[in-house]
Amino acid sequence: MATTATKPIEDIERVVIRFAGDSGDGMQLTGSQLTATSALMGNDIATFPDYPSEIRAPAGTLPGVSGFQVHIGRSDIRTPGDRPDVLVAMNPAALKVSLPDMEKGTTIIVNTDEFTAQKLKRAKWSSNPLEDDSLNKFRLVKVGLTSLTVGALDELEDLNKAGKERCRNFFALGMIYYLFDRPLEPTVKWLESKFKKKPLLAEANKKVLKAGYFYADTVELFTHVLRIPPATHMEPGEYRQISGNQALAFGLVAASMKAGVPLFYGSYPITPASDILHALANLKEYGVMTFQAEDEIAGSGAALGATYAGCIGVTGTSGPGICLKSEMMGLAVMTELPLIVINVQRGGPSTGLPTKTEQADLLQAMFSRNGESPLIVLAASTPTDCFDMAYEAVRLATKFMTPVVLLSDGYIANGAAPWRIPDESELAPIEIHHRTDEDGFEPYARDEHLARPWVQPGTPGLQHRVGGLEKAELTGDVNMQPENHELMVELRAKKVAGVAEDIPELDVLGDEEGELLVLGWGSTCGSIEMAVGQWNAGNDRKVSAAHLRYLNPFPKNLTDVMSRFKKVLVPELNMGQLALLIRGKFGTDVVELHKVQGRPFTIAELTDAFRANLEGGAS
Amino acid sequence: MTTATATKTWKRQDFASDQDVRWCPGCGDYVVLSAVHRTLAAIGRGPHENVFISGIGCSSRFPYYLGTYGFHSVHGRAPAIASGVKVCRPDLSVWIVTGDGDGLSIGANHLLHVLRRNIDVNVLLFNNRIYGLTKGQYSPASEQGKVTKTSPMGSIEQPINPLSFAIASQATFVARTYDADPKHVAAILQRAAQHKGVSFVEIYQNCKIFNDGTFNAVTNRDVRSDRIVFLEHGKPLTFGALGNKGITLNGVDPVVVEFEPGNPPADLLVHDETASVGLSFLLTRLAHPDFPEAMGVFRAVEKPVYEDELHAQIAKARENSKDTSLHALLRRGAETWTIKPPAAEGEAVRGEVESLGDALEEVGPEKDSYIADLDEDEGVPEGVARVLGTELSELTSDSDTVRVSADTPIGQVLEEMRAGDALATVLVCAEDDKIVGIVTERDLLHRIPDGVDLKTAPITIVMTPNPETLEPSDTVAHALNFAGARGYRRVLVVSEEGVTVLTVGDLLDFIRTSAP
Repeated sequence: MATTATKPIEDIERVVIRFAGDSGDGMQLTGSQLTATSALMGNDIATFPDYPSEIRAPAGTLPGVSGFQVHIGRSDIRTPGDRPDVLVAMNPAALKVSLPDMEKGTTIIVNTDEFTAQKLKRAKWSSNPLEDDSLNKFRLVKVGLTSLTVGALDELEDLNKAGKERCRNFFALGMIYYLFDRPLEPTVKWLESKFKKKPLLAEANKKVLKAGYFYADTVELFTHVLRIPPATHMEPGEYRQISGNQALAFGLVAASMKAGVPLFYGSYPITPASDILHALANLKEYGVMTFQAEDEIAGSGAALGATYAGCIGVTGTSGPGICLKSEMMGLAVMTELPLIVINVQRGGPSTGLPTKTEQADLLQAMFSRNGESPLIVLAASTPTDCFDMAYEAVRLATKFMTPVVLLSDGYIANGAAPWRIPDESELAPIEIHHRTDEDGFEPYARDEHLARPWVQPGTPGLQHRVGGLEKAELTGDVNMQPENHELMVELRAKKVAGVAEDIPELDVLGDEEGELLVLGWGSTCGSIEMAVGQWNAGNDRKVSAAHLRYLNPFPKNLTDVMSRFKKVLVPELNMGQLALLIRGKFGTDVVELHKVQGRPFTIAELTDAFRANLEGGAS
Repeated sequence: MTTATATKTWKRQDFASDQDVRWCPGCGDYVVLSAVHRTLAAIGRGPHENVFISGIGCSSRFPYYLGTYGFHSVHGRAPAIASGVKVCRPDLSVWIVTGDGDGLSIGANHLLHVLRRNIDVNVLLFNNRIYGLTKGQYSPASEQGKVTKTSPMGSIEQPINPLSFAIASQATFVARTYDADPKHVAAILQRAAQHKGVSFVEIYQNCKIFNDGTFNAVTNRDVRSDRIVFLEHGKPLTFGALGNKGITLNGVDPVVVEFEPGNPPADLLVHDETASVGLSFLLTRLAHPDFPEAMGVFRAVEKPVYEDELHAQIAKARENSKDTSLHALLRRGAETWTIKPPAAEGEAVRGEVESLGDALEEVGPEKDSYIADLDEDEGVPEGVARVLGTELSELTSDSDTVRVSADTPIGQVLEEMRAGDALATVLVCAEDDKIVGIVTERDLLHRIPDGVDLKTAPITIVMTPNPETLEPSDTVAHALNFAGARGYRRVLVVSEEGVTVLTVGDLLDFIRTSAP
């Protein structure tokens, strides 16, 4: 350790910190606290919770490692960071899993108490890495987190040893708070409210948090205290921290309030979409009706029933659940009812990788129904965009009387970001008109957007029947005539295509024309825009980016934008689904960049692809 | 609307649609359709207040032949769709029309759950023990040995008993009727409609084309009286053309007994619609040829209704909630902070400050908004807004300051503080007298690293560099909020005349002496 022992405060631009431990170590919670505190200090943040799908894999094993990575900065932070600058490893397994991500010179804080022969073996270490030279290239900070924690709680006689040991994550958090000059108050306050009914636990965790903080101070573990000044690029306004799923739930409720029409959410628990159901079940005072259905089919069926009854009917799930919702989506297309289907994508196929991210359900959203069955497909691009796109899903579904699929994924659903809370006046109007006028009523007559009237059952004189059989134009009677079927297929397609007139055009980040356009969709937005920003800051040959949030229909100017670049690179967390759509629809060739590892793109992976494609173009 | 329908009387034809009915001639569905028309008219709610929801199959065409609202959905899913409709519109009368294939095969799971939840809908299950629309395959209700297109050597499956299923699913109203007796159908439908909670009605229905006469052995006019026992609440289970047969229990097994007409034995089973589930279940197991089959209401009990409970929770949540505005929603579950416009570059102030309780809870992006909010807030005593709105220029400081240059050793600063006011604020100044940092007694206690030589180490090691400052035109409320958010115990007010240090104590003193 440093012998001069001066600890000046050094301002830094950004830092990436990862907590890694057993699933039972409270790493998600520890990371969330650091995130919340940093957000309150005015930093920009992006987080990546990476947890195993097993609830509690055997302690100390590699599959049981749960990680939470947070990127904190004063400048634009769009991703949780490629590699950690600081790793807190609670046990040998956590160290083993994270070590490949660590670069030379980065800091690793390890809990030495856990590096016993037995635990090293369980984590498949052949020798103790703390005792050989293998970690020499890192700044290794060895701390007996468990024993120090128990020691700090000596006086708390009412808490047993296991209970004391469980507090050790807060010791680590306290050390990080010291190292990065974070105030303890927000976490202290949180502990007090979280353990209101268990004051002993509140007391213990507070003590340990402070002990960690003072320990880091007194034992001279660090040469510098690092400070990340508040972010300066952020638009003025009132901010909060929000996760994608939470934002999505708020977006739905905000739309319901703005429209003055109640929200019904029919869903079946599934990772990583359950948090939307949890959030909405807690918003009953906003008139939200939640229905935990017997299965995915019933969740969407009840939601469709709700739209038929005149409410905003929404169902939410993840990939495997979407398979089961196909028939109800088809029925919504046929009955022309504004069912909203949320797919928080995860790794597939089948049960796949429940807790890992992927964006491989785009083609499923587009085509997974029998017959010609077009509907609107939207994709949220960031945690906070989940609010905007959920709101937009309600606006478009009800305006065009058509089902909407909204794609999110595990990465943005669980990731958190600072969110400038919009003012009510910033939200687009949602005007829902339930028809009550008997004069000239026909259930399948259409307005200027080709939308049919939305009638609530209970309205006198407007009784009519809907269903899955083909309908006659205007009357809505069952009709199997060849010409009528073709007409109806075309009308339904034309209606969805017409949505392009009602959505924003595609913006280009960077030069409006040039050598290389990076075209993305959904949750890759942060990685792509940050990579493009970094690339352009250090290279003369510039790269532009455009990001699709509307996948069906595409923004009107998409082909125009693509035509202004020599090459279009399409990075996707799948095997080239958007690329296939673009080739099929426009005949435009694009360069594909795939990743299917259950993780988002790193900045380096993207900038490497920029380099390769610019060089390729020049040769 | 309610008043209008209450006074208007409805006729059977008000519930018919203009569509041609397309069931096969002689189909039992015609009888049920006619009974439904009659029942709806008798119940007295308008066609617009009824919604019929069906799945797929012959019976599921039902909604097209009614003048009510209707939804002909997909196979087996009617209970799911009806659940959504009823939860959203508890005021409507919601009916589910299904068959033995639709309801007990592909849709059995949904049927189970709509029954279990006790959603106040009426389920009509047309049982013809065959797949009709797909032209004659065995159904889950077909008897063992049944020869059909898909079971040329006879079905090897055990059939489901729909009523046993319903009772086991905890349905609160369970009944059976048969298409050969239109009056009985109408009477049972009316009971079902009146029941508060889920109603399940099995209708024995003849399929003229693919399973003609499947119930004849029980329901034919000439054998009916000996093979059907009609259930009547509070009355003994008796049957037979001569009224000379009844059912008793031997342990837990039913037994048919014969007796002299008019002189039934005292131990005949007396029907009780509210009896234990076990007894209701037992009645569903009575089957030809060993027993007469039961018709009527097997079970009718009152239990809390799903949609009522849900809406009661919503009402309770509303009652318990102080603020259900969009503003409150978007701030729910998190603390907020404010990024100010570029003029006040880089400053972030946390929104919620508890130091002054509710009075300061609402903090907008504009400094003035504290005061505006206070004026609007009910319950804030008059004058509080005035006091908190006072500009800092009007306050006096009670604390000393010490100015030192950036290269002053820590030891020297300690000396100066020891000599003067120990709680003095140390302002570290550059050569142009600009303040580059601030040091408080807390910094001197906590920030001096071990082993440092106090005689040489400069004060800058422990200072907070470039402290954020306030303007004289800022308000007391803003200063308190600012200090609270940052955990500062003093704020620097920079004016043309110089720097004033206001401690939180100064601010509170001012409030104490000026408070109304």
